Order: sequence, then C-alpha cells, then structure tokens
Amino acid sequence: MPKASLQFGASTENLPIIRHFVQNHLRTLTQDTVRINQVTVAIEELCANSILHANKEDPDKELRLELRSQGSVVHIYLYDPAPPYDLHQYPDEPKLLRTDTNRPGGLGIYLIRRLIDRITIRRRKGGSSVYHMMKDLSP
Amino acid sequence: MQIDVLPNGDNGHMHLALRGELDALTAPKLYEKLTQLLQANPAVKQITLHCRELSYLSSAGAGILLMCMDNFAPKGITLALAEVQPEVYNILDLLGLTKLMSVSHA
Repeated sequence: MPKASLQFGASTENLPIIRHFVQNHLRTLTQDTVRINQVTVAIEELCANSILHANKEDPDKELRLELRSQGSVVHIYLYDPAPPYDLHQYPDEPKLLRTDTNRPGGLGIYLIRRLIDRITIRRRKGGSSVYHMMKDLSP
Repeated sequence: MQIDVLPNGDNGHMHLALRGELDALTAPKLYEKLTQLLQANPAVKQITLHCRELSYLSSAGAGILLMCMDNFAPKGITLALAEVQPEVYNILDLLGLTKLMSVSHA
C-alpha cells in the first residue's frame, strides 16, 4: 500500500504545510479537484482540532499524519500525543447563527462528518491517540 | 492571503478581491481588514468579496464570514461573495452559507 507521511509540531503555522502535503498526495490518486479539496478540508479540520484543542498550540508536541492508498480508497492516520476527543459529542448540525445562548460553532466537526466515509478513534498506551479516516475517491 | 480594494465601487458599495487561502491563520486578517475599511468608509452598506482567486476555504474561513455577516448586519451592511470557485462553493454549500448570504459561482 503506497504511503506518505508528514511529521509536524502542534502549531497553526503548519496548516498550509499539511494542506499542500495532502493535496500533492491526492493529486496522484485523482484529478477531481472538488474531491481533492473535500478530503484536504476534512484532514485539515482534524489536524486543526488536534493542534488547537487537544495540544493547546504547543509547537513542541509532535503529530504525524500518514496517508495510505489502496485502489481508490485513501486511509488517513493522525498520530496525536494527546488523549482522544470524542467527535460524537458535537451536535449533528453546525450552529451558523448567533442566538442568545449559542455562538456559531461545530463547523469543522460537521465538515469532517460530511466529507469522510468513516472515522475511528483509538486510545493508545500512554494516553496518546490515533484517528483513522477513510475516503473512497471513486466517482 | 491578499485582500485588495477594487476600483469599481461607489460610496455605498465596496468591492474587494480575495486571493490565496482563507484558513485559521488568515481568517482573522480578513475580519481586521473589513473592520478597518468600514471604519474608514462609514457610508458603505454593501461589501462584495470577489473570490475568483480564492483557492481554499476551511471552517475557520467560513466562521469568519459568518462573524462578519453577524456583526455587520445590525449596521445595515450586507456581505456577498462573487466568482466563487467550485471547490470553495462546495464547502460553503455543505455548511449552508449559500442559503444565508448571496454567493455566486465563478
């Protein structure tokens, strides 16, 4: 299974690097630019959540992103030193408009759910976590 | 990301061109720039963001557009997106922003 990996510190400064790494890899698998963008957005949202929330933007915390492809299916693994967070705790729909009790939010998690076929989260020994997302790139 | 004021506006309608990528890093710059421009041009009641050269939008970018819309609406200022590329339109549409503001394709 062809594999590409990227190691990066938990800093939002690294988001463009992550994005371009993912786009370059996906371009070898499909020419569908909308599909490439969808998977790129989902991966960036997952990484941004880990950087901002799980690792509190500590650039010394190292994460590893691994992309593996099998036929038209791409497997995405994010190895995160922080404990896993529960993606399912968020509401099914994003809050787009501010109300008296709510601010807009949940957009990133909503996009991951809409754009990815399957996601599993595993806690590893020592408290770190692995996020595994799958996406079939076939039309 | 680059934000340029286009010359085809008038007193009440400002046109801006967005170039590059609107993500968690660049989104605050867009809000800051729009706020500065509105302070300097209090007669503006409509802003059109021309997105032909906007190649990427994340949830942080969509979030800042919602925040702009939310904060500008009480002042009677509307926000529209024009010439949006299919990749960016797809994300705006999935999030439901195409129902909340005027968004037109490239």
